[in-house]
Amino acid sequence: MKFSIKRSAFIQSLNTVSRAISSKTTIPILTGIKITADSEGLILTGSNADISIETQIKIDDAKNELVIEEEGSVVLTAGFFVSIVRKLPDEKMDLSVSNDLQTTIKSGQSEFTINGLNASNYPHLPEIDTDDSVTFSGDIFKEIIGQTVIAVSTQESRPILTGVHFELSAGKLLAVATDSHRLSQRSINFSGSDRDYNFIIPGKSLNELSRMIEEHQDLEMRIAENQVLFIFGDTFFYSRLLEGNYPDTSRLIPEESTTQVQLEAPTLLASIERASLLSHASRNNVVKLTITPSDGRIEITGDSPDVGTVEEELEPESVTGDELEISFNPDYVKDALHSFGKTMIEISFSSALRPFTLKPTEDGDSFIQLVTPVRTF
Amino acid sequence: MNNKELYTGFKNMESQTKLMLTRFSELREAMNEVLEKNSELEIENQHLRELLESRSKEDHNPKTQPQKTQKHSESRKTLEKLFNAGFHVCNQFYGKPRENGEGCMFCDEIINRK
Ligand SMILES: [Zn+2]
Repeated sequence: MKFSIKRSAFIQSLNTVSRAISSKTTIPILTGIKITADSEGLILTGSNADISIETQIKIDDAKNELVIEEEGSVVLTAGFFVSIVRKLPDEKMDLSVSNDLQTTIKSGQSEFTINGLNASNYPHLPEIDTDDSVTFSGDIFKEIIGQTVIAVSTQESRPILTGVHFELSAGKLLAVATDSHRLSQRSINFSGSDRDYNFIIPGKSLNELSRMIEEHQDLEMRIAENQVLFIFGDTFFYSRLLEGNYPDTSRLIPEESTTQVQLEAPTLLASIERASLLSHASRNNVVKLTITPSDGRIEITGDSPDVGTVEEELEPESVTGDELEISFNPDYVKDALHSFGKTMIEISFSSALRPFTLKPTEDGDSFIQLVTPVRTF
Repeated sequence: MNNKELYTGFKNMESQTKLMLTRFSELREAMNEVLEKNSELEIENQHLRELLESRSKEDHNPKTQPQKTQKHSESRKTLEKLFNAGFHVCNQFYGKPRENGEGCMFCDEIINRK
């Protein structure tokens, strides 16, 4: 294998596939990047137990300045190979691999020789049928990830809850995540596929994917038995799916409420952030909300026996229904409020012990957050 | 006590402390397991008692509808009692202790199911 390439273009693609490479892997060859040169260009691959990323550097894209003199493939240890390429002196670089896998990297006056690994030992990526695919706007998919992944469980005791549950049916996509303390559900309408899908993607995979999607980029999704593939730009992103059935979450969302508060999400967020300064110093991280509809007011209080107390009154847009005192973990509500951005939201309560919902006042059913209160007695 | 003795003394103490710490977390783990098992058995026991009771009542006067709802709400109460005692009663975390008394929406749904 022998090629020359513009270094900046190469670095960009190396960074992309490096996201899938972990130095902690127990399979030695997966600490490497697989590089394949063929008639169309280079294909770089990185992989770990959960995700695999493959990206193409095309010959016919002039800005890559890619010239392939000899086709072939090799696996190079990611850690120092990427460092070497980053630090090379010239704008361009040459890479050639000899028959005994000795790999020579030249740029300007600098020349490195490193040992490569045999690419035929690199695991094959899953093969996914081409005819089952759905295309989303990358921006919207990124938004869906951001809004749901916050509620994913970080505990391995119930592995299925570490993922986001996707249900596609009748032109509607429903994404739900819950760690049992809070739940986040987002839905959108889409077109182009009438097939039904039901699968769970690990939250960690979605976080990585989200970082890679660029603005205004389309995202094609293909689903197989235990893998999902996302295609965007010149990149293929594979993730394993979580096995098992996701619990039925449709029954968790209360339909009735006895107290309702409408206010700007950032106003409440700022207030809860202040109150949590004290609650975080306390052993039980709890903030109390007192709602008095007759005054049109709500009060947020934080109480930490060792540090002090905080009280803050807010005058929401509207406060209706019964009086209520409710305590909750401010971190859950903060995460939920962050995900709304600058929007007017409605919070609906049914009792001090039951979960309450937060949703945007406009188009409220497409995005719902649910938080369970904390019993303080 | 010379320097060397001081050094080995510390070293010994360090390894003993480490050992203690491992034993300690092993014990805590074991205790958790026992607690979980205990609450699981409690729930199971309650279920069996209810079943037994309803069976023996059914034998006396078969097919009385109100009794069923009553039984239903009683088992609901048992679950709520266990939940308030600090344990999950949901399918997801059945019998596991609830950490820091935090709520669980799966438990909530079961206790308050209509
Ligand atoms: Zn539970």
